[in-house]
Formats: sequence, structure tokens, C-alpha cells
Amino acid sequence: MLTTDVFPYLLGLSAFMFSLGAAGVLIRRNPLVVFMCIELMLNAGNVALVAYGRFLNSQEGQIFAFMVIVVAAAEVVVGLAIMTTIFRLGRKLDVDDLSELNE
Amino acid sequence: MLAQSAPLVPLVTPSANDLLDLLPELIVGFGFIALMLLDLVVGRQRWWLAVAAIVFLAAGFGASVWGWFDSGNGHTLYFGSFAYDKFSMFINCVLLFSSALVILISPHYLNRRGIHHGEYYALILAATLGMMLLAGAMSLMVIFLGIEGLSLSLYILSGFSRTEERSQEAALKYLLLGGFASGFLLYGMALVYGETGHTQLQQIGAALHSTTQADPMLLAGVVLIFVGFAFKASLVPFHTWTPDVYQGAPTSVTTFMSVTTKVAAFAVIVRVFTYTFVSLYSHWEVIVAVVAIASIVVGNVAALTQTHVKRMLAYSSIAQAGYILIGVAVGTLSNTSSSITGTTGVLYYLAAYAVTQIGAFAVITIMAGRGEDLDSYDGLRGLAYRRPFVAAAMGLFLLSLGGFPPTVGFFGKFFVFAAAVNANLTLLALWGIAGSAISVFYYLRVALLMYQRPKDEQQEYPWSRTTIAGGTALLAAAAGTLVFGILVAVVFNGAQAAQNAILPAIASTR
Repeated sequence: MLTTDVFPYLLGLSAFMFSLGAAGVLIRRNPLVVFMCIELMLNAGNVALVAYGRFLNSQEGQIFAFMVIVVAAAEVVVGLAIMTTIFRLGRKLDVDDLSELNE
Repeated sequence: MLAQSAPLVPLVTPSANDLLDLLPELIVGFGFIALMLLDLVVGRQRWWLAVAAIVFLAAGFGASVWGWFDSGNGHTLYFGSFAYDKFSMFINCVLLFSSALVILISPHYLNRRGIHHGEYYALILAATLGMMLLAGAMSLMVIFLGIEGLSLSLYILSGFSRTEERSQEAALKYLLLGGFASGFLLYGMALVYGETGHTQLQQIGAALHSTTQADPMLLAGVVLIFVGFAFKASLVPFHTWTPDVYQGAPTSVTTFMSVTTKVAAFAVIVRVFTYTFVSLYSHWEVIVAVVAIASIVVGNVAALTQTHVKRMLAYSSIAQAGYILIGVAVGTLSNTSSSITGTTGVLYYLAAYAVTQIGAFAVITIMAGRGEDLDSYDGLRGLAYRRPFVAAAMGLFLLSLGGFPPTVGFFGKFFVFAAAVNANLTLLALWGIAGSAISVFYYLRVALLMYQRPKDEQQEYPWSRTTIAGGTALLAAAAGTLVFGILVAVVFNGAQAAQNAILPAIASTR
């Protein structure tokens, strides 16, 4: 049973996950890892939503988290498909190499 | 245990009226599924899909027009999570009209590029549905679903040319930066939900209204939400993806997303910031104003040095987003009884921007060569001698983008800047006017190039011939640019009525 004492720690955890994800997007160069960091950011949002929902005694946060899970799954499908296509074109997967545009 | 502590939401089913009021969205959603199935039947006769898509979009347009008259002062559907008001119907009409024009120019272009697949039309409808959800969203959940619905469709569409590296690169850039922005948006929504205890805009607005001081967590949430929206509207400093994605994506897709994404994003920005976070206005006003000025400056200066029309229009669209954001920064302020408010200006500008920008990109789409886009400035030299009507239309669109009377572009800028002056934000209006003055250089440069003699008289550019469908789309966009410029009142009255009926209606308490 979740008590209100745990609540600040949960928020702290979500803030930590969010910062970790955001930092990863900016630092890492492999699109797959960048993508994983984006998922981490979304999950940080989920943790915050669920924690707030429990704290506020409202179900909206929990329902919202379910929607986000579905959306994140759909995003993974599209993202991996795009990366597979790039890989099949014979390109190395590195975000710094993506400079065909921007002449 | 849980059932005792947490009051369950009563399980009531929505009434049939709610479903009926959702008709425009239902038609487009049904069309999306129907087109995927139809793709299996039509075989290689894919232009049938374009016809079907236009039929669905036209039906959705009709339903939106009906909804405009039926909605009256507006009410919410599904227990306050979706709006049925003139504001969303106005945006729906702009979105559906733009999508239909894009469908008109698409088949010929896709054939020439060798990427005419049936999924294209289904994806356009899916993206349009996401944008319509965004236009009517009254709950943070619906906003998130709408944004992701349109984004996911657009990620696929940007990478629609599977064998072309530039298209794939555009898709990946859009995906990674778009996902990054979604993360910010979601975290902001979580914070706002946590601090107010609600996900529905009406309740959030009411909760904010009753609190006197703003909590730092709440403000952080508001800022993060703005970051998420600003990315979709490609506002500085979240614009870096725009030129690359616009250039790399197939031009018909660029046409689509450069217009409709901005319209939908600004619709939701207005609803969330101008009307829901209205009691926090003093906190977000400065941020919005600074972002608007930065977009105007960066967009216009960067556009000056471009050598390709697609990139130039991408930077110019960043500047245009900056002008529109001035209308948001004005908010509901007005020191006179004048009827020109920020929101009216934003709505008029969005309609004006839609017809003009669609037209300008449609010219590039229609002229595209086999397998490549002929969008370099050199490639346009002498266009007027070989394609006089297309060049004249392009000239008209460029003048409208630059804000010359009597085109819609002029009145769009006029209303937004007038609203800023009315609200004693004259400095903001001056930045906008200065930006417009710079923009005249690069718009006229392209216009003049088209009317210069070709370097080599004998040289034959592989410009495509104009099809009937493409010509119709150009004509419709040009007619919109001119007619709505001359008959300003039609659109202006519509924008004003839409603004008066917008939900959540707490702005009047200011």
C-alpha cells in the first residue's frame, strides 16, 4: 500500500528518469540509444502521472499512463521501421552522419 | 481497499448526441480505415484512392460546416473532454480544405517520383484526423493522443520515399526530435495534472482561477507543455528540424505538413494558453513574446541566404509562425472596445497562411521533375516564359506571404499586428513589421527570377506538365488568396464568431 511518505521519492525518481533521458538524447550518437532515451522520458512522465494519480486519489493519471503506453508502443513500431529502412540503404546508424540534407 | 479510498468514475455511457456531434471526426476516421481496405481492391488504379479521399474530406468539410451552425455557443462532449464549438469547426474547415488540395496535387507527383503507394492517402487522412482531434481537444489526454496521431502519420509520410536517403534522413530526424518534444510535453502535462488535480481543460482553468499564487512546479509544467507545442509549430529555438525535414520529405508531404501541422498546433496553443492558462498570463506572456520575436528574426534572416525554394519556404514558415504567435502573446488583452483581438487575428492568419503556403508549395510539387525536385533558384529562372500561369500564381503566393495588399497575407498580418497595438504591445508589432520588411527581399527575389530570361534559351527544363487536378488545386489556392483578400469580412466575421464561442469560456471573467 502506497503511503504519502513515498510520494516525494516517486516524484524524485520520475524527475531523475526524465533528466537521464533528456541528457541521453543530447549526448548519445546512436539513433537506437537516442530512441531508448526518448522512451525513458515518456516513462518518466508515466511514473509522475501514476504517482500523482495515487496521491490525488484520482484515476485520471492512471488512465493517462495507459494511453501513453499505447502511444509509446506505436512510436517504437514506426521508429524501428524507419531505422531498418535506413540500415537497408547501407548507411551506418549515427546521428552525426545524417547530413545529406543541409547543403 | 482501493475502491473504498478512490471514488470510481460512474460508469455512464455517452449519449448518441455526443456521437453525432463528433461527425466530422468520425467521417475522416472512417475514411482512413476505408481507404486502407480500398487499397486492396483498386489494384494499380490508385487514383481512385485519391477520389475516395477527396470524397471523405469533402463529407467531413460538409459536416464541419453543419457543425458550425449547429454548435451555437458550443458545448463539450464526453464529459468535458472534447469541444463542440465554432472554434474547432473553423479549424476543421481550414484543415480539411488544405488536405483536399494536397490530395489533388499528389497522384501526379507520386507517379513521377515512383512512390505512388496506396497507404499515402490513408496516412494523410490519419494525420488529418489527429489534427482535428487536436483542434477540438478539451482534455490533456486527447491533446496528447491528437499530437501523437498526427506525428506518427507524418513520420511515415516524411520517409515515404523508401529508396531515397534524403527522405529517410528527414524521417529519422523528425522522429527523434519529435519524440524528444513529446517527452517534454508529457512531463509538462503530468506536472500540470499533479498541481491542479485535473486533466480536463475546463477544470484546470477553474482550479487555476481559484489559486492566487503560482507554484513553481505548475509553472515548470506550463513551460514544458509550451516546449512540446512550439516544436510542432516549429518555433525558435525548437525549429532545427524544420528545414531538413521540409527539404528531405516528398514535396507533396511537405506541402501537407507545413500547413496543417501549424494550423492544428496553433489551435491547441490558443485553447490551452490563451483560454485555459489565462490566469497565469503574466507568467507565460514574456516567454511567448520572446519566442515570437526570436522566430521572426531567425526565420527571416536564415531565409535570406537560401538557394532552394523548399528550404527558403521552410525558414519563411518559421517566421510566419512567429507572426502568428504574436496573436497568442496578445492573449485576451485589449484596451479598447475594438473587435480585433489576438485570437481573431490568429484564426484569420491561419486561414490566410493555409491557402497561401499550400499554393506556394503546390507550385514546386506540380513542377517536380522525374525522380527529383526542381526547387533550386536557378531551376526557376525563366519559368514565366514557359509556364506563364503557374509563374503568375507563384508570384501571387509570394506576394501574399510577403504581406502585400490586397492578398490575404496582408490582412493576416494587419489583424495580428493591430491586435498587438490594441493591447499596448506596440513593440511586438514593430518587430513583426520589421521582419515582414526583411522578408520582402527573399520573396521578391524568387518572383523576379521567374520573370528573368532563361540563361540558355535552348535549354529545356524537365518541368512537369500541369495536370487538371494540379491546375484545379492551384486555381483554388490562388482564388482563396485573392478573394478572401478582397472579401476580408467573410473570413474575419467567421474568425470573430469562432473566437466568441471558444471553450473553455472562462476568459470573460478577466
